[in-house]
Amino acid sequence: MARQYELDDDTVVVVIGSGAGGGTVANELAQKGVDVVCLEAGNRLTLADVVNDLVVMDQKMGWHDKRLGAPLWICKTVGGTTMRWSGVTPRFRDFELRPRSTYGALADTTLIDWPLTLEELSPYYDRAESKMGVSGTHDMPPSFETSNYKVLKAGGQRIGYKQITSARTAINSIARDGRPACQQIGFCWDGCAVGAKWSTLYTEIPKAEQTGHFELRTGAMAVKIEHDAKGKVRSVVYADADGTLHEQKARAVCVAGNVVETTRLLHNSNSSLFPDGLGNASGHLGRNYMRHVMSLTLAVMPGEVNFHKGTRQSGLILDEQRHDPDRGFAGGYVIETAADQPYGIATYVGGWGEEAADFLEHYSQIAGCWITGEDPPQAANRITFHATERDAYGLPVPVVEYSDHPNSTAMRKHADQRCGALYASLGARRIKSVANIGHGCHNMGVARMSEKPADGVTNRWGRVHDIPNLFVSDGSVFPTSAAPNPTLTIVALAIRQAEHIAASMSRREI
Amino acid sequence: MNQNQLARRRFVVAIMALSGAAGTALNPQLSLFSRAWAESPGQPGEGVLAAMVRMARLLYPHDALSDEVYAGILDRALSETAAGAAFAGQLDAAAAALDARAGGAWRDLDTAAQVEVMRGIESEASFVAIQATVQFGVYNHRDFWKRVGYAGPSKGFGGYLHRGAGDIDWLPEKL
Repeated sequence: MARQYELDDDTVVVVIGSGAGGGTVANELAQKGVDVVCLEAGNRLTLADVVNDLVVMDQKMGWHDKRLGAPLWICKTVGGTTMRWSGVTPRFRDFELRPRSTYGALADTTLIDWPLTLEELSPYYDRAESKMGVSGTHDMPPSFETSNYKVLKAGGQRIGYKQITSARTAINSIARDGRPACQQIGFCWDGCAVGAKWSTLYTEIPKAEQTGHFELRTGAMAVKIEHDAKGKVRSVVYADADGTLHEQKARAVCVAGNVVETTRLLHNSNSSLFPDGLGNASGHLGRNYMRHVMSLTLAVMPGEVNFHKGTRQSGLILDEQRHDPDRGFAGGYVIETAADQPYGIATYVGGWGEEAADFLEHYSQIAGCWITGEDPPQAANRITFHATERDAYGLPVPVVEYSDHPNSTAMRKHADQRCGALYASLGARRIKSVANIGHGCHNMGVARMSEKPADGVTNRWGRVHDIPNLFVSDGSVFPTSAAPNPTLTIVALAIRQAEHIAASMSRREI
Repeated sequence: MNQNQLARRRFVVAIMALSGAAGTALNPQLSLFSRAWAESPGQPGEGVLAAMVRMARLLYPHDALSDEVYAGILDRALSETAAGAAFAGQLDAAAAALDARAGGAWRDLDTAAQVEVMRGIESEASFVAIQATVQFGVYNHRDFWKRVGYAGPSKGFGGYLHRGAGDIDWLPEKL
């Protein structure tokens, strides 16, 4: 049923990217009968392509175009980074959508409230959880309790935590929606070999194709969005796998390239009408880049854990997801189980010699957790472009500038102490906190939603403030990071945005 | 594997066997074949390779791993067509730096002294490169996995659901 559209068909909505944001907004539109052309820079894998090997899978699906500065860990493949994500899906809490009102002015930040409330977002969280099969919601039981989770739960209880759960993971806890239950394979970051973990590759994309209102073009790298004299976008120029340029006309455009590519595309689409790039009248495009406060705690426990046997991350402690300035910082964090194979653990433990080797010698006894915490927006944390370096497409090479806010340093210190105490309460022999876990892939904030156009790039629907038919559909629209992993909120916002776009189209506003 | 690589592999294994775990002096009775290869231009000499096998063990010391494991890791890095020559240069540089800092043959020092000399050069580029190579090699090595009970890829046998996932027997709490 997959359709093919002509390049000069100006009735289609062009969606750029096929991951959590792009794949979802595309399918939601197609389900409503809106014709969609989805441009994906990467290739389309099948489950048969998935092997339990990080290096091999990174070659198949990682994004390897040249970038400078802070490392990212995202994907160039159909499904985007939903191929690599862990599936952890806690909801944001009310205070997290009102951070400026709750925390007050935080020095050296550009903190604003979200232009929508939790009450408004909640029905879309419901729909996102149903779509993704989030464990412990709707008809889905909580996730299987791994040994690493059992350690987290026991230690968490000992130090007084109450909100401990194995629910809130978008990995099938039972067979559902044509996908099997999790088999505890343990290589969630390298693509789920059985499709138990939600990825748009085998959910949203084929469902969109079945509507007859959707075409996926792979190997299609969007390089520029063109607009008419009045400033409405009218087409997207993209390079195919051979580097040949094509121009697809569009009634509306949704950009979901993950923050770096979303920034780059809007920036490179500058014109005499929009000299600093599309949506950049406020100067906020590419700024306020957030990636979560992260810290990992590893502990050598008194007995065997074998945390490689099962999902990497299924188990949460939510007690610290609150605002309590007595802890010495604003905002909260979520504690999540974390596991990795020996080489990964060796890189986290770091160093060399007897001490490093001894930690790894006890690999079977290691338990682990990490935190994701609220990362305040800072204007200087931003995506810029190198003055002279060009990538294979001839595009300026992005530079990712990021540094911690003092609030993040204070939060990390608190979290390391709490997670350390959790494992110590069960008699851990060695405990190691790792602040630098090498990469970030919770990318947010470069095209943030704002009530006032001067404060951001997009409005409460993720529509670029001064362009009526240009939308941003990925984590770039987050005004703040909140504590939880971002994907559930990206999906909820994409469902909501698709509803808005379809309604605007039927009202002939687009 | 081409002829050169095969020869190098045999050579490294020979060096490893001769150097021994304690890093003692080389036995001069190397086979002609290995010696001929060892003397080919641009390749680390036998003394350098023996020292580096010793250093690899001291970087990530695991008694369960044989010297063949550490030698094999260096050998594989040397065999890489693109990066092999650069790695050979790093081995030479690290061995020279160790001897220079030891004020003589580093391999002749006792273990504690060898480690202390290594600490002195740990920020040098050659050391960092070798450390990264050995770390990757050791912790992705099947012998190490076997030692710590890591079974690795599980897709082939249907995951750990019925193979130990969730098993834990020492927690005091009944969960």
